Amino acid sequence: MTITRLIASSAVAAIVTAGTSFSVNAQEREVKLSGFGAMSGVVRSFGINSKAALEAAADEVNKAGGVKLGDGTKGKLVIEYFDDRCNAEEGISVARRMASSATLVGIGPTCSNVAEPLFGILQKKVGDAGDSGLQFPVFTDVAIKVGLAKISDWAFRNVPDEGAMYRALFQWIKKTQPDLKTVFGGVEEDFAHSRATWYAVMKEVAAKEGFEVKGEAKWLLADTNFTNQAREARRAAADIIAISAHPFTTCGMLKEMGRQGVKPKLVIGLTSSSSLETLQGCSAEAEAIIIPTSFAPVTPEAQAAAERAAKFNGSLDLHSGAAYENIAILKSVIESEGVMAKPDTVQADRAKIRNGLAKLTETKGLIGVSKRTPDREAVKPFLFVHAKSGKWEVLHTPTN
Amino acid sequence: MDFYLGLLQIMGVHTLLGLSAYVVLLTGQVSLAQAGFMAIGAYVAAMLTVLSGWPLIAALIAGALVAGFMACLVGFPALRVHGLMLVVATLAFTEIVRLFFFNFDYQIARGSIRVGPLGGEGFRQIRYFPENGWTTLHVAIFIWSVVALVMAALWWMDRSRAGAVLRAVGEDEIAAQSCGINLTAVKVSAMTAGGAIAGLAGGIYAHYTTHIEQTNFTIMVATFAIAYPILGGLSSIFGTVAAVVFIQGFLIEGLRFLGDWRNLLFGALIVLVMNIRPSGLLDARTMATLRRLFGRREG
Amino acid sequence: MLIVDLVQSIVDGLLFGATYALIGIGFTLVFGVMHKINMAYAAASVGGAYAALRLITLIGGPAWASLLIAAAVGGLFGLLIYWLCFRFIPLSNPLATLMSTVGMFLLAEEIIVHTTDGMPQNYPVVVRGILDLGEFMIRGDLVFVFACALLAMVILLYLLYRTKLGMATRAVSQQPIAAQLVGIRLSHVNALTFVVTGMLGGFAGALIGSAVGLLSPLLVVPLTIKGLIVTVIGGLGSIPGAIIAGLLVGMAENVFQYFRGVTERDIYVMLLLFVFLVFRPGGIFSSTVKRD
Repeated sequence: MTITRLIASSAVAAIVTAGTSFSVNAQEREVKLSGFGAMSGVVRSFGINSKAALEAAADEVNKAGGVKLGDGTKGKLVIEYFDDRCNAEEGISVARRMASSATLVGIGPTCSNVAEPLFGILQKKVGDAGDSGLQFPVFTDVAIKVGLAKISDWAFRNVPDEGAMYRALFQWIKKTQPDLKTVFGGVEEDFAHSRATWYAVMKEVAAKEGFEVKGEAKWLLADTNFTNQAREARRAAADIIAISAHPFTTCGMLKEMGRQGVKPKLVIGLTSSSSLETLQGCSAEAEAIIIPTSFAPVTPEAQAAAERAAKFNGSLDLHSGAAYENIAILKSVIESEGVMAKPDTVQADRAKIRNGLAKLTETKGLIGVSKRTPDREAVKPFLFVHAKSGKWEVLHTPTN
Repeated sequence: MDFYLGLLQIMGVHTLLGLSAYVVLLTGQVSLAQAGFMAIGAYVAAMLTVLSGWPLIAALIAGALVAGFMACLVGFPALRVHGLMLVVATLAFTEIVRLFFFNFDYQIARGSIRVGPLGGEGFRQIRYFPENGWTTLHVAIFIWSVVALVMAALWWMDRSRAGAVLRAVGEDEIAAQSCGINLTAVKVSAMTAGGAIAGLAGGIYAHYTTHIEQTNFTIMVATFAIAYPILGGLSSIFGTVAAVVFIQGFLIEGLRFLGDWRNLLFGALIVLVMNIRPSGLLDARTMATLRRLFGRREG
Repeated sequence: MLIVDLVQSIVDGLLFGATYALIGIGFTLVFGVMHKINMAYAAASVGGAYAALRLITLIGGPAWASLLIAAAVGGLFGLLIYWLCFRFIPLSNPLATLMSTVGMFLLAEEIIVHTTDGMPQNYPVVVRGILDLGEFMIRGDLVFVFACALLAMVILLYLLYRTKLGMATRAVSQQPIAAQLVGIRLSHVNALTFVVTGMLGGFAGALIGSAVGLLSPLLVVPLTIKGLIVTVIGGLGSIPGAIIAGLLVGMAENVFQYFRGVTERDIYVMLLLFVFLVFRPGGIFSSTVKRD
């Protein structure tokens, strides 16, 4: 009885305090931006890195004097980060929490299965009074599944365009290693992103560039036994094996290929696998795997950003690199659109930021200039990396 | 405000999910099939509103009916087995349903885009609520009206002979049988009612998340369906509500200020609650006390 | 070619099933003794493997030593689970221990995620080598897993049927009240069962890690499901049943994958399981008719 009462009352107290702890200090104008993503489960490293990148980027902006607001005063960026546990309902709940606070933009989420429902609860067409969806801009750094931003006018993404990346990769292979003619795929079937990347991107692009696609082996996200798939790969005897899967099964498949003595001349990986995860899972087997990525510390800006993120206990990769860039992009939008960041202008500020983001045709990124498309997606510069003695090294930088 | 209303929506759907398992648990059966019924309700209701343009309430009822019908069909063979056997048999059912939708494509063209479920890619843009101008408040009130209706029905059932029969089967099957109770009929009825409620929960879930895919209906969801009534206590439907508030309100949203500790405490606090209240948050004694207090205030 | 591939698929499946068998033995043993299910078993087993991997990379040492460390840590986890999830909860309340072990499962999984940020960890190969039989290929490490499962069975059956401790365990399993009347301390016997199964679990976790080549939180849920399936197919409490069931499940997976593809594979496995349970509720080795 007492315990029940205790739990009930502390539940209410905790929710109320957590929900209302946002107050804006009148003296020092705060510009609140919130990140959200997975801080638990298998994708926890994504959340940790994005959070660190956001904090590092905001810290850098604040040190340089903050952002100039619409009435000429200087504002300070404040970052909050919410865990959505890669769960659709929790992601929606977090979005509503952010929209109910003074937060101007949400940056996230990690998982496409959160991004998709979340974009669905946003207003579809801006200005449509009959649509009661949330009017809150979301600027995604990680969730990469093809074509999500078109779900809502309030959804923006700064994620790589895989079509362009893999087209360039296959073109480059054709030019530098003309003796490689056949491709065999490996695809994680039950994850929307990896599945789409093989069928809609890698497979089509390879065929278009004149490679012979000799089929694909399929497996599921949590599979551990790859004997059948590795045998199919051996039978196909292709020059190139393209694996569209996340690190856990990429490593599992590579290990089984090693056991069965499947030695293709080249292995290509999924862009999300160009992270620390693959190296922790199977650096020996992943040696020489080539992956196109939209981040590597190749420019002075990128190096400095990586060092700053490390100070906030995160590592910068293609995903968290985008989170870092998003802060810089938002800073320039806030300044160009005259955002006020006052308690009574929250909704107007959000609309300004949305319009500002929609207007952009180009943004400056850590490794070069990104183009922005009319359906609110990015075409980011990229480069090819390969795993070399337990590290990702830049193999080639295409001129794009 | 919007946030609390959104949280209320989530709590409402999870209450329905918990109640669907509660009905089955009363007969002493642990069913992990609730996530499967939820998936069926979600896909059926969403396909009816998005593809056939049905009004929401009709679609939800249809989803619940189909899920209830499936529960009835599965109930006959599955309820021949007991205990852990039933847990695993129903787990298999949930997995079969999930994998069915993983392989299920049914898209039609609407204008320039194609809508409908598309296997592993999921079923996007189930936007009945925002498209019809329902605000968060409207949706929250709607969901809780449904919850109140279901709770009232269950509360009434619990007080009637039907409730006594269910509990009799749950307490001791052989004794119940020797009183002339038809075990199969009782268990299958409970399973059917539970399936229909889970289907209702799924239909609403599909509409307030606007996107469903097979990964939303896993064993973990089925586990939480039985966790609510067990954590809350089986002596009354209010136990399930208490447990939903405890998990969704306190453990998930309320503990956010603890940062990373929130996720660790999630499991730890469930272990702790089961140790200090093995019969649930609102067990029979607590309920009796509450009833006495309530009665005194009235008198 | 077709026949060769099919046979190879069956062999691969059977061999991989050895890992399911090994994890299933622990599930079934706890069930046999306490008539309770320990949902946290696979999570704790994988946790033991993680701890062993940490220690072995920290202090160095041969890969096989990680198996022993994992067994020791697993035993400790077993005891912990007994104290936290079973000791103080009335035995007459099966739902409460079901829930407390689900809570423990979530906790164990999250601890793993927090110590490694959820990233997959490379696990060293314990047994190297592939038996090359011309057309066919047999993985040495999986043969080793199978041998370990058999060895575990022999040891456990010896413990249960040839020692005093085993007699006490069986007495507690069959007639807990009568066992107490003759002076057997229930909580001691139960705790010991958890330590022994925990040791086996840690050992199994490490072997599975080595066979997969990786540790990841992604292993936990599938292993829990496999453990439950193997327990019921083998017949609740039957150790030889668990081994055969493990092999059968592994084989069924690979064969269905071969014929129907990976996206439909588990539908057929689960359908088969459902039908099996309904028509043969006692499992392969149905001994006595039990109600739970």
